[in-house]
Amino acid sequence: MASELNATQKPDQIPVLWIARPMATAARQFVKSLFRPSTILYPFERLEDPKFRTQVGVGSGMPIGVGPVWDNYRGVHALNIATCISCNLCAFSCPDLCIDMVTVPGGDPKHPKKCPEIDYGKCSYCGFCSDACPEGCLTMTTRYELSTTKRSEMVYSPEKLNEVFRHKLPMNPIRLELPKNEDSILLDPPLCIGCNACARDCPTQCITMLDIPKPEAKPGEKVAKRIWKEPVVNDSDCVRCGTCISVCPKECLFWGASK
Amino acid sequence: MASLTLYSVSYDLAQALLGAIGSILPTGPRALITSSDVVTGLAVLVFGALLLAASMLNTILLIWWERKLLGRFMDRRGAMHVGYAGLLQNFADGLKLFRKNTFPPREADGLGFYFGPTAYMVSSLAIFGILPISSGWNSGALPLSLLLALTIFSFAPLFIFVSAWSSNNKYSLMGGLRSAAQMIAYEVPLLLAVVAVIIVAGSFDLTTIVYDQKNYWFWGPLFLALVVFVAAMLAEMERIPFDLPEAEAELVEGWNTEYGGMLFAFFMLADYLRALVGSILVVLLFLGGWTLPSWIPASLSAFPLAGIFWFMLKTYVVFGLFVWVRASLPRIRTDQLLRVGWNRMIPLALLSVFLAALLVTVRCVPVLGCVPSAGV
Repeated sequence: MASELNATQKPDQIPVLWIARPMATAARQFVKSLFRPSTILYPFERLEDPKFRTQVGVGSGMPIGVGPVWDNYRGVHALNIATCISCNLCAFSCPDLCIDMVTVPGGDPKHPKKCPEIDYGKCSYCGFCSDACPEGCLTMTTRYELSTTKRSEMVYSPEKLNEVFRHKLPMNPIRLELPKNEDSILLDPPLCIGCNACARDCPTQCITMLDIPKPEAKPGEKVAKRIWKEPVVNDSDCVRCGTCISVCPKECLFWGASK
Repeated sequence: MASLTLYSVSYDLAQALLGAIGSILPTGPRALITSSDVVTGLAVLVFGALLLAASMLNTILLIWWERKLLGRFMDRRGAMHVGYAGLLQNFADGLKLFRKNTFPPREADGLGFYFGPTAYMVSSLAIFGILPISSGWNSGALPLSLLLALTIFSFAPLFIFVSAWSSNNKYSLMGGLRSAAQMIAYEVPLLLAVVAVIIVAGSFDLTTIVYDQKNYWFWGPLFLALVVFVAAMLAEMERIPFDLPEAEAELVEGWNTEYGGMLFAFFMLADYLRALVGSILVVLLFLGGWTLPSWIPASLSAFPLAGIFWFMLKTYVVFGLFVWVRASLPRIRTDQLLRVGWNRMIPLALLSVFLAALLVTVRCVPVLGCVPSAGV
């Protein structure tokens, strides 16, 4: 048995080297990590500390998506309440239904301001909400420390998300450019009753109600009982949130190719 | 300060203790408890307590040292939170084990189950009563101290096998069998390597062996014996790469599978006690014990307890070598282990004995010049 082994022995399989080579490797590793092992002592020092900026992140000069880049990490959201227009698009786009629009102070009583409240117990950090946000006020940050002892603390109110925004954490630089919705809000004029609901709830105030002439009453016919106004959508300001369509009581607004 | 010895320290401690107690007592009892017989009796107890405390403390420090070194070998840091640099981590671990319960298996042999780890621990501790640490820091001039130490050292397979057998677990039993086979296989080259030292030093007394290395340490002329001794000692200590008896990938935890709590702590401590004994024996037999080579300035050993300091430093460095081996080499198979033990180690050990005999006969070391004092 032993002689068979010896016959097939390659020159680099000298038994002494079986011991010497791994010991040399271990010694090299020992010397390398004697000054500083690769371990980052997490609770006491963090990867995002300035002293690691040359090793990881955008500061390392590596292209994003290659190597240990942490700036594209999707962590807790940051919400800028001041620029939020309550358009609901984040809640619409959320695949986990973890975003609730809750009222925050700052709106008028008739038209309350609503901002997203995120339940991190459900969130999958897909980032669709920040991609959908037309104003760029909801973004993903690199903050990752979320552990709590209570389930209720996993629900982040808009104020708490605004606190995250105020810390000015590095924002995720990657924002998906969604294909622009080329459709416009179109009106089916005969159905409209001029109720002003669309203009009232439009987050960007791009809908104005214009007067239309009241038709002359023909003999034998009654003039429709309605307000003689019609919404006109300013396409350049519209964020295509669809709020007007959903609030319209007569379903006379719809998506369609603009003329 | 130069006359600081283990005996004088324990005697002074006993005298101070009894004097302090006696000073608050009336004259009659004071005379009784400060009499020389009582002081001597207490001094013996203090002596034992000192040895016990020192050996246990060093063992726990050794575990810390291994964890830190192994961490660096693996590009991490090891224990670092309890105490400075994790020094107290092992005390915390020990406290945890102390609070835990030990559940003997239902069919286990109760007597053997408890006797095994206790005897393993006690036999490992007993060796420390024999080993000299520095000049004056031993338990007396034992003419056969090396032989006695190695005899107690080789009791271990018996106790391991007793506890493995009485655990009534197939993994424990297989671990115990492997342990017995391994320890018996490597006992022979270990003792043969020691024989080479004994031939050159001409004595079984560890203190004499250390003082015989005054001119040159034995690791140079007896390098082959050192290699054989270290390899066999690794197998005796059941450390990686020879940790087959507790190969956790095949046998759950080897012969201590069924043990938990303090009995497991006994095994763990005794393993490291044996590792400490192994390192100390390497230092005593091959690295000149507490002496320093003559080319090192004498001022380096002029401070009090310098002998113990240099001795412990050498011991920890030697143990670092064991850790280095552990960090480098994978575990070997049983058949490889036994083949290396019987087919390679014993011829090498015999060769080293022959070289030692040649050395004594011609009284000349090729590297270090002629041997001034040696010989049977």
